[in-house]
Amino acid sequence: MPGPIDLIIWFLGTAFELLFVVCSVTRKSFLRYFFLNLYLLISTIVSIGRFLILWSYGQHSGQYMYFYFYSDALLTVALFVALISLYSHVLGELSAGEYVKWGAVFLLLGTAGFSYAVVARSTERLSTSFAYELSQNLYFVGLVLTYILWGAVLKLRETRTRLVQIILSLGLYFSAYAASYALVNFSGKIIIIRYICPALGCFLPLSWSLTMLRYTDESRLVPARLVAVPR
Amino acid sequence: MSEYDGGTMSRKLGALVLAMGILVGAMGIKTVLSSNSKGTVMMANGPAPIPLPPPSPPPQP
Repeated sequence: MPGPIDLIIWFLGTAFELLFVVCSVTRKSFLRYFFLNLYLLISTIVSIGRFLILWSYGQHSGQYMYFYFYSDALLTVALFVALISLYSHVLGELSAGEYVKWGAVFLLLGTAGFSYAVVARSTERLSTSFAYELSQNLYFVGLVLTYILWGAVLKLRETRTRLVQIILSLGLYFSAYAASYALVNFSGKIIIIRYICPALGCFLPLSWSLTMLRYTDESRLVPARLVAVPR
Repeated sequence: MSEYDGGTMSRKLGALVLAMGILVGAMGIKTVLSSNSKGTVMMANGPAPIPLPPPSPPPQP
């Protein structure tokens, strides 16, 4: 079983995920940010499922490993869809919805194809390795997509506070993930995996919940607060 | 004769090229960051503890 700190981080993270959904419903923004809510709802359900399996079989059991990696792949795809929905919000006025959809589908299929090519050599437990590889690759695709989205926010002088804060949080989340990934690979410190990765899982729903609580859909940023980019 | 007689750029092709560029960029970043990889597993979806990684593919002969 994990230690008390792991459990505290886990319970807090699940509570934050649920908090975002509750805030969205009470602030009447559930449908506006439907895919973000869907991602965090799935994440809450997965978190409960992981707890039940870990409680029954243990952290190093095959059952927990399989459930963890398959559910992680599902969650990463849900996060990818949530990110694409943010593109639709930002680029909504440009009537680029159809192209965003085409690009997203192609990107998802391309990442899946790349992941399959990487794990195709392994005939044993191919699907588990594929789920794991797909998750990791989609994180990095998400990182690049978020930076491009931030560029679009600056270029289009987006002033909707909620949207800007949500995108910034996502950028921080992906950047912190990439930084941790690099740190783990170069230093090999297991503490990063044990505490920082689950803490990152807490950061995103907490940050989104605070955004939902503090700002309304009508809140606008002063344009000068964003980096001035000549149009 | 018009200066712009080459027609317009296909937006669908533009989206496709951009998607390919993003994929290449993302995989490039991953390759750079994992250049010193020891097979450690990194997941950040949700706050649950991370299990042992799945077995890595066997080396090619």
